[in-house]
This record gives sequence, C-alpha cells and structure tokens, in this order.
Amino acid sequence: MTLNVWRVVFVAALVLALAFPAFADVAIPQLTGRVVDQTGTLSSSDIASLSQKLRDFETRKGSQIAVLIVPTTQPETIEQFSIRVAEAWKIGRKKIDDGAILVVAKNDRHLRIEVGYGLEGALTDVTSRRIIDEIITPKFRSGDFAGGIADGVERMIRVIDGEPLPVPSPTVNFGSLDDLAPLFIVTLFVSVGIGGAFRAALGRLLGSIATGGIIAALSWFILGSVGLALALGGLGFIIGFIADLFSAITPGTGRSRGGSWSSGSSSGGWSSGSSSSSDSGSFSGGGGSFGGGGASGSW
Amino acid sequence: MRKILTVLAALASLSLTNCGYNAIQSEDEQIKANWSEVVNQYQRRADLVPNLVNSVKGFAQQEKDVLLGVTNARAKVGSIQATPEVLNDPAAFQKFQAAQGELSSALSRLLVVTENYPQLKSDALFKDLMSQLEGTENRITVARNRYIKSVQDYNVTIRSFPSNLTAMVFGYKEKPNFSVANEKEISTAPKVDFNTAPAK
Repeated sequence: MTLNVWRVVFVAALVLALAFPAFADVAIPQLTGRVVDQTGTLSSSDIASLSQKLRDFETRKGSQIAVLIVPTTQPETIEQFSIRVAEAWKIGRKKIDDGAILVVAKNDRHLRIEVGYGLEGALTDVTSRRIIDEIITPKFRSGDFAGGIADGVERMIRVIDGEPLPVPSPTVNFGSLDDLAPLFIVTLFVSVGIGGAFRAALGRLLGSIATGGIIAALSWFILGSVGLALALGGLGFIIGFIADLFSAITPGTGRSRGGSWSSGSSSGGWSSGSSSSSDSGSFSGGGGSFGGGGASGSW
Repeated sequence: MRKILTVLAALASLSLTNCGYNAIQSEDEQIKANWSEVVNQYQRRADLVPNLVNSVKGFAQQEKDVLLGVTNARAKVGSIQATPEVLNDPAAFQKFQAAQGELSSALSRLLVVTENYPQLKSDALFKDLMSQLEGTENRITVARNRYIKSVQDYNVTIRSFPSNLTAMVFGYKEKPNFSVANEKEISTAPKVDFNTAPAK
C-alpha cells in the first residue's frame, strides 16, 4: 500500500520534472507590492520603510517605482527578463509612462534600472548607469544590499523629482475607465430608447431582459470582455426596469420619453460605475509602458 | 418568447459575420507603429556613432581602418530611406536589414579595438557614450522583438480562414520579418568587458 503511494509520488515527480524543462525562462513574479523580494535579502522592516518611501513619492509626484530582487534570471539576460517584468507589471501612469523598476538578480550579480518611456529624459542611460556604478554596486560589493537599494532608490527619486511631470490625480487609476465612459452613455440611450419599444412589445420584465441582453451583446462587441459586458447588460436591465417603473408611477407621463430619460440620467449608474474603490493597501501598475531604456551593471 | 429568440438569433448571426477586416486594419497599424519605433531606435544609434568615433579617435588614431569601417557603415545606413513602404517590399527590407547589420558588426569591431587602450576606457566621455550605446542597442532589441511579434500576428491573421479571403480581396500581403540568419549578429548588443583579453 505505502509502496504504491511512493510509486505514485515518484511517477508524479518524474512527470513534473519532464513537464518543466530546465531551460524554461524564469516566471514573472507576482506584483505583491512596491518591493518584491524573492531572495529574503531584505528584512521586513527594510521592505516596509522602502515601500513607504515609494508610496509617499507616488502620492507626491505620481510616478511609480518598483523594486524586484530575484535569485537569477538565467537563461535570459537581465535585460530580457526585466523588459518582460516591465511589460507585465505596467509600472507608471498610463500615457505618461513614468515608471521605473530596479531589478536585482542576486546570484547572477547583475542589476538593472528599467526606465519607462516618460522618464527616459530624466533617468537617461548615462544617469542610470551612474546610479548603478557609483551608488548601488559599491554597497553591494561590501554585502550591504539593503543600503545599496535604499540609496539607489533615493537617488532615482531625486532625479525624477527634477523632471516636470503631470500632477498626480487624487483618484486611483482605473485603466479601462476611459473606454467605459462612452459605453455608459450608450447603455443609457439604448436602455431608455430601445427599452421603451421592447417593453411595449414584451412587457416590463421580458423587455428589460431583452434590453440588457442587447446592451451586453453590444458591449461584448466593443470591449471584447465578457465580465464587463455582463455588468453593463445588468445595468441596462436595471435602468430599463426602473425607467419603466418610474414612468408607471409618474402620473400623467405614461410612457413619455422625458420621464424615463430624466430618471435614466439621474447619474446613479454613472457615479457608481466610475467610483471604483481605491484600495490603498495593495499596489498595481498604472499602465505605463517601457521600451528598454535604462542601464545594467554588475558587482 | 419567440420574439426574444428571434432577437437572439439575429445577434448570433451578427457576431459570426466577422470577416477580419478590422483585425487586419488594427494589426497593420500596429506593425507601422512598431516599425517606426525600430527605425527610431536605429536612428538614435546612427546619431551616436559620430560622437563615438570622435571619442575613440582622440586616443586611438592608428586604428584608421576600423574607424573608417564604422564611418562607412554609418553613411550607408543613413542613405537608406526606412519609410513604412519598405515593409511592403521584401527586397528593400533586406537591404535595410543588411545595412544595419553591417553597422552592428563594424561597431563590435570598434569595441574590440578599444580594449587595447586603457586610457580611452577610463575616459569619462567614452564611458557615457558606451552606456548610451548599450542602452540604445537594448532599445533596438526590444523594438525589433515587438515588431517581430506584431508581424507574426498580422501574418497569421491574413493566412487564416476566413480573414484570408478579406486579405485577398483587399490585396493585403504578408509582411517581411527580420530573418533569423543574422538575428544573432544584430540582436546581441556589443558588450564592453573590462576583464578579458581582446578576442582577436
């Protein structure tokens, strides 16, 4: 019995070993915070103070900086690995692209400052190289990783501070909101306009369902995201339903479009859609893009 | 109930009539954008070269032929127009690629030569130019990879059914991609290694 169990375990291990060949690229770490340390190099207090510093910097300047420490990037070079990380994490604000990532591959003894498009004027290749060569690596050589990273980040912050950037907006960046805004308007129009016709033909409940379905289909066409489409469809259903009730209880309006229009535009759906909850605890990239700017070094 | 079914059937048939025309448009546009980024970064490298040559000249005048090689390769790159029309002409694309490859190898020869001049290597200006060159080479690599990816997407779209019919009707052809033959030569950035003897 136990022998059988062991055999199963052994076979499973073998299958796993075959499924993940040794030459696979290092997986991109989860963006769990502003400082991601996969090597246990930094103490929790180091990470806390560094994250706090970066958070304050972001609220003050709007620009995002992240720090990543991995054991190795083999078989990729650090440049290949860190551009993949940058593309996945999307540090920095969308369209401003003011993000930077400090990547340290501890066992390879390589590090890199990856600079987003918007910061290439401030954190030039030469400046990044100097921060690496003159500030970070001397401390790394003496084994002071926490100090090297803290000083390097400090200098990056000071360099970026000299760059005029758009002021940070108080609201949290919800990337696809720009794409959603017109759809809310479409939702309103469709649910109020077409919804009326549907309700006349099918009755209140079925008519509202059909309205919601049409909106969902439309949003799915435009956005290509099922979740968002369902959400908007639900919104359309509710608006259709409420608009109908509204015109039903409003004396004298009957199915007047004015009545349902004003109830539809009472901006309830609008504001609830746009006020996405800002979770200050977690951290996510704002959608900034990178093009390989920055510099690498070793110690 | 039947009405709802009719509505749903109409919607379903609508969603199936995806001829891929819009996909081809957006992917084509993406290729153009990525291509301009590639050209942009190559241009950045070309702009760096004269400064680099001058900075090396100050310390290593006797390396005339290497310096001349870089200057000539740089001139050749400058003479080729890299407009988006290049993308629809495989021959022109090859020419562009060959010229850039030549500049790449001329630059790596120059970097090998600089190994013999310790004074040059410790020169602050030369160091700055080197980090700029390295950064630019890395940007070129990134831009090229993105271009390669977008061309792959596009080529798959115009070869798969049913969008291939659309492509045929509107005359969209496959785009040339960076060939793998000199992929290595171009994409490996010249490395400045201060510890090893020159490899020549």
